[in-house]
Amino acid sequence: MNRSLKKILLGGLAVGLLLGVSFIQNSLNRDRDALELTRVEPLENAPPVLAFTTVALGGFRGLISNILWIRAMDLQDNDKYFEMSQLADWITKLEPHYVQVWLVQAWNMAYNISVKFTDFSDRWRWVQRGIELLRDEGLRYNKNELLMYRELAWFFQHKMGANMDDANMTYKQAWANEMASVFGKLRAPDLDELIHPANDDQRARAALLRDKYKMDPEFMKQVNERYGPLEWRLPEAHAIYWAALGLKAASENPSKVKSDDLITLRRVIYQCMQMSFQRGRLVANPFAKRFEFGPNLDIIPKTSEAYAQAAEDDKPNRDHILRAYRNFLRDAVYFLYEYNRIADANRWYRFMAAKFPTDHVIDGDRDSLASKVSLDDYALSRIQEDIHDTPRDRIKGVIEGLLFNSYRSLAVDGEEEHAYGYKMLAKKARESYMSRIGSTREEAISLPPLNEIDQEVRSRILDPKEGAPSEIRAILRTRLNLPSESATPTTNAVPVEAGGTNAPAAP
Amino acid sequence: MQPLLAIALLTWRAAFRFRLFIVVAVLLLLSVVGLPLLIKDDGTARGFTQILLTYTLGTISVLLGLSTLWLACGTLARDIEECQMQMVVVKPVARWQIWLGKWLGIVSLDAALLGLSGACVFGLLEWRATKLPPAQQKVLQNEVLVARGSARERSFDKDIQTRTEELFRAWLPKHQGATKPEIEEVHKAIREQVKAGLQVVLPGYSSRPWEIQLGSASRSLRGQPLFLRVKFNVADLSPSATYYGFFRAGIPKKTQLWQSPVKSMSADTFHEFEIPPDLFDDNGVLTITCGNPNETALLFPLDDGVEVLYRQGGFAANFIRGLGIILCWMALLATVGLASASFLSFPVAAFFSLGLLGIVLSSGTMAGAVEEGTITGYNAETGQRGFSIFDLVVIPTFRAVLKVIHLAEDFSPVDSLSSGRSISWTQLGLAFTQIVLLLSGVVGLIGILIFNRREMATAQGTS
Repeated sequence: MNRSLKKILLGGLAVGLLLGVSFIQNSLNRDRDALELTRVEPLENAPPVLAFTTVALGGFRGLISNILWIRAMDLQDNDKYFEMSQLADWITKLEPHYVQVWLVQAWNMAYNISVKFTDFSDRWRWVQRGIELLRDEGLRYNKNELLMYRELAWFFQHKMGANMDDANMTYKQAWANEMASVFGKLRAPDLDELIHPANDDQRARAALLRDKYKMDPEFMKQVNERYGPLEWRLPEAHAIYWAALGLKAASENPSKVKSDDLITLRRVIYQCMQMSFQRGRLVANPFAKRFEFGPNLDIIPKTSEAYAQAAEDDKPNRDHILRAYRNFLRDAVYFLYEYNRIADANRWYRFMAAKFPTDHVIDGDRDSLASKVSLDDYALSRIQEDIHDTPRDRIKGVIEGLLFNSYRSLAVDGEEEHAYGYKMLAKKARESYMSRIGSTREEAISLPPLNEIDQEVRSRILDPKEGAPSEIRAILRTRLNLPSESATPTTNAVPVEAGGTNAPAAP
Repeated sequence: MQPLLAIALLTWRAAFRFRLFIVVAVLLLLSVVGLPLLIKDDGTARGFTQILLTYTLGTISVLLGLSTLWLACGTLARDIEECQMQMVVVKPVARWQIWLGKWLGIVSLDAALLGLSGACVFGLLEWRATKLPPAQQKVLQNEVLVARGSARERSFDKDIQTRTEELFRAWLPKHQGATKPEIEEVHKAIREQVKAGLQVVLPGYSSRPWEIQLGSASRSLRGQPLFLRVKFNVADLSPSATYYGFFRAGIPKKTQLWQSPVKSMSADTFHEFEIPPDLFDDNGVLTITCGNPNETALLFPLDDGVEVLYRQGGFAANFIRGLGIILCWMALLATVGLASASFLSFPVAAFFSLGLLGIVLSSGTMAGAVEEGTITGYNAETGQRGFSIFDLVVIPTFRAVLKVIHLAEDFSPVDSLSSGRSISWTQLGLAFTQIVLLLSGVVGLIGILIFNRREMATAQGTS
């Protein structure tokens, strides 16, 4: 046979075989998986460099990965972090299916390296690197690994959500700002407009959510309906999202799931729901140009359900979960009462009494069963926990604080119910103190009447020199139906009688 | 001199003839231009500049080092193997001149390649810096693209020794029955106690004043910010892994002290921050204290607990000095390559030289063995070390080899450049003395002696 023809035939044969292999490769991979012939799945969606290195380097990948790891540790010991991101990238890409490698590298950046920096914005950058490594890369190659979802959720729940790190408020503010670019500024997130974007702005924001934050708005909506309403500008909502996505992945691959992994994911969810209840509402403070947090009272029913479910699922930790559940219910009742949602507070108080009939509701008083203590007394006891056996000035300070919060709610949050709730608590705190001191020492240590304390607090807030910022003063004057500052006399005393508003005069 | 230069020129011509110069130059330029596209930085301009400096200069050193070794082995060994050397040695030129001329040719070739790639790196850094916002530029100019000197407290060794002996002498008469090990242990404990007194900042207290003598540098530092670099250890680990602290600086009882904001800092880590200018006194002494609001003591090590960094010069001169040290390494590699090619054939010489390089790079293993005192292993938990008869020979050998390696390894120009630390002319001079004059001198002398005595007329390896 002609040599050239032979070469062409051989070349054609090679091409044909390669094409054949490419056709049956998927089926082979499925068989490998089904017959458990391989511990790991073949790489999907890997960039060419990664695909090449994982195949070409073969067993040497581990060796190179070790060398890089040693270098990373050496650099870290010498406080040199500028290479860490690159080294973590190489190490994880050399071992893309080794889950612990991803977890350790991400943890190292988010926890160990971040706290090495005194500047909080530097810390935030490293926390982001840890999150990005898991979310953008790790899950891309290991979409069924529950530990990855759990770790990612933990970063949101603990590193950003909890207050262990001194920079936690920076993280929360930065995250809220980032999310504001997805959901829009100064308004509640609307998931529907991201699921079905109708204009360019919405399409751009939906793309940002999918491409940068790797989140599916439809699944977000499902999560919101199941566990919410959630505030998506806060880290807890994202912790719940990633944990819920992990549960979804587990339900799609039930044979590969360990029950402990499921429990940890569910734990993230109910713990984050509890956090969302406590401070899962974002209040924009346009004067201080930052966000502030308030409780999310609407999430109480679903959080209660989540606790009950967790206690059922996690038998070994049932007692701990039930104790946490009871504490959550106590807080829920108190918060509802504080916000003047008395009917809801009563309902949940009765629910708590039925659910935990033998548990006392007031710390230190073992006879204080919910069935024996009224809601008012319970709410008051919560305040007294702070002011019990404290001297007069301290109690006056507590009452002033409650009144200050009342005005703050009115001016910044615009919540009249909450403001009224604070004022009512201040009134009850004073009454409780006065009844405790008795008549013998009333003259010596009694408190002034509530309206006097109230007027003093209000004067301090409205003081143009030492008080709140001018915008807040103006809003408060309007809400209290007080005249504008320019209309008041030179003294900074607040008139007792309200007359006029600070609205512009009619032409 | 003329024969020397002629041989050097021939080496250059050979490098061009074999397209080695072009290939290495292109590779170096590709690495300088390509690396910034591939590497992932930490997201800051400072981090990007640091990683760029580290990786480009690291790549240049490796590429140039390997090509130097290859060229040095090849140029001499192949000349001998291909019998060209026989033609040269019969000319009126001494063998030492041939050897040295080749060395000079290789080193000057390295200098040209290093200069070319170094200029590209420098230009790239400066160009990228100009694209940054002014605030980032300022950070770069203050912390990375600068040559910063360092000042620390004076040594307290003598004070510690004196105080330890005083306390020990007071303790000894009251404990006449103490055994020798007990006495040694107590002496050690007293010393640590005295040392701790200088290092510890108790909870709720301020530290003793750290007096940093800036010396003559203070004259040029008027109006310039300084940088405080601190590190502390703690005994109790806090849940957040961070501790609060604030620093004061100024002239005590004369001027109002400057105070930093309360900082959240992790232990066992260097923290660096700027302090305002002109806080030192007329004698150039900067006094610093630290307030500890934590519930645990902070311990600032005497050697590197508190350090002041200050601008000593510009980046350009520092960069050139850094390249100078890299060139000294290249000179040593050229010497090793030529020396091995003086008595070995090309492949064996190349293998031998790379082997030597491997030994140098694995000096960490040797250092570990020397520290543990054995090659058979050491249990850090029990403090027990194994023993082998080979230890008697191997450990002293390792120790000697390490001393030789340290002559070249003690310099870290890439590290200094990426952290904005000054590489002084003294350091460069020291590097030249240790690496070029001492190490290269000895190895080169051996190579020249062997080359001088080598019989050129015998049949050579591949000819």
